[in-house]
Amino acid sequence: MAVQILNESTEPTPGLLDVNNLEVVYNDSVVALRGVSITVPEGGFVSVLGTNGAGKTTLIRAITSLLFVHKGKIRDGEIELRGKRIAGSDSAKIVKAGICQVPEGRMLFPSLTVEENLRIGSSSRRNRAEINSDIERMFDLFPQIASRRKDVAGWLSGGEQQMVAVGRALMARPALLICDELSLGLAPQIVHTLFELLKQINQDEGTSILLIEQNARMALQYSKYAYILETGRVVLDGPSDVLESNEDVQEFYLGGAGEAAEAYATIKHYKKRKRWLL
Amino acid sequence: MDTFLQLTASGIALGSVYAMVALGFVLVFKSTDVLNFAHGEFLMLGSFLALTFLVEWNLNIVFAIVAIAFIVAALGVALHYGIMKPLVGQPLFSVVLVTIGIAIVIRAFLLMTYGPLERGRILALPQGQLDIGNLVIPYVDIILFLVSSAAVVIFYIFFKSTTIGLQMRAVAENLEAAAAMGVSPNKVFAVSWGIGALMAGVAGVMYGNFTAVIDLNLAAIGLRAFPAAMIGGLDSVEGAILGGLIVGVSEQLAAGYFGGDFRDVVAFGLMFVVLMVRPYGFFGTKDLIRV
Repeated sequence: MAVQILNESTEPTPGLLDVNNLEVVYNDSVVALRGVSITVPEGGFVSVLGTNGAGKTTLIRAITSLLFVHKGKIRDGEIELRGKRIAGSDSAKIVKAGICQVPEGRMLFPSLTVEENLRIGSSSRRNRAEINSDIERMFDLFPQIASRRKDVAGWLSGGEQQMVAVGRALMARPALLICDELSLGLAPQIVHTLFELLKQINQDEGTSILLIEQNARMALQYSKYAYILETGRVVLDGPSDVLESNEDVQEFYLGGAGEAAEAYATIKHYKKRKRWLL
Repeated sequence: MDTFLQLTASGIALGSVYAMVALGFVLVFKSTDVLNFAHGEFLMLGSFLALTFLVEWNLNIVFAIVAIAFIVAALGVALHYGIMKPLVGQPLFSVVLVTIGIAIVIRAFLLMTYGPLERGRILALPQGQLDIGNLVIPYVDIILFLVSSAAVVIFYIFFKSTTIGLQMRAVAENLEAAAAMGVSPNKVFAVSWGIGALMAGVAGVMYGNFTAVIDLNLAAIGLRAFPAAMIGGLDSVEGAILGGLIVGVSEQLAAGYFGGDFRDVVAFGLMFVVLMVRPYGFFGTKDLIRV
């Protein structure tokens, strides 16, 4: 089954974002990504799954040119946006070119007001009137935060902060919206609301979405295509519904209804011996 | 009581200059994480340029202030792109040493250009005085206060309500998040250096009209920004203004009551006391040092 999936995905399809054989190192020594290739098609909804330390956030830092903050470097490979190489260019230019992210842990500016946080999201744009009307649009999109627009963002609840973070990224009017661990630490209901919103943005406005998630169930349910990252490598990829029914994925990422789930000890034992390499 | 009011009045005038100097110092630190030990030299440069513009060339004072502000700001921006930019992300220690190097270079340049002799103060401002009861306030003090206040207020509005001011606050708070949102940190750093230097330069022009002599020790006034900034909180714009006023007033009071030698003792002594009680200053952030 898994073999079949891999064979299907080896056909390169030109997309909005193409990451080819990306290799990233931190501090010139720690290799975080080894030959990662992913594609987000125009208008696509793609998720990247993986456990802690798989390299998901590194992948985003590489795409958005923020590796420098963490002393990371792209050692090999290419990142293309609509066929144009963007790897290593200025982070501000990448936002302007159409990629913006909701960073892991939200990374709001806690002492700035909600409205100021949203405004920062429009830093790559010039037209003031459009920016102002977009801010109002964000408050329509997230009615919960509308009443708190003059409040300092640090006072908001986790869910509200995540809404501001999504709104802030949307203020850049990105062609590709990247969400890093959107569901982390949030109540299921809010996660559901946010995912529904992403779906709506994806369908209505054609914004491509790249989802980085630990919550595999949600991610597979909403995305159309998914990659599974483990210790810096893409170990499996395919259409989300196919992956969802894949035995290995079910077992390791969806809390396993497989045969090995019978006894905890066997799972552990099986996990140790199991290798994704095919 | 009269002595007290008299000293307080001149302390406020002096303190407003300190506030302006401290504001520039804090601004550079807040957005770029660099303690700029060349800040006093920017001020001294402003004073010496004022000598040239006002005493030698006899230019209009308003024109001179604008021109000097422009020159010093341009120098600040140039320093960022030329020297500080490649050092972003390097250990604080080496960056701070570089600012000390810049200070030495500016000082050497002034020594070569103006020579080692001290000059008398600039007399470009109206020299009369205002009598209110027993209180005597020189016009110079009033103008000093007005110009500094105007500079501080203009900056404050700029910082709070323009796009670039907003970006400066965002970068100060979280560089990575700001960069992720399309803010160009380099542009923000350059603007911060420019404004920081401008504040020091204009303060230098004003102080040149206030002090007794202009010589190469004037940079020590820039060091007054240090206690002022520490008292207010090293990363707080409001704190810098308050700290400047506190240092100015207490310095004048100390000089008036105990003699001029007590100036420095009081400024730094006050800093010690405040830091003992509130190690992050009046308005500062508690956990200032971040990785």
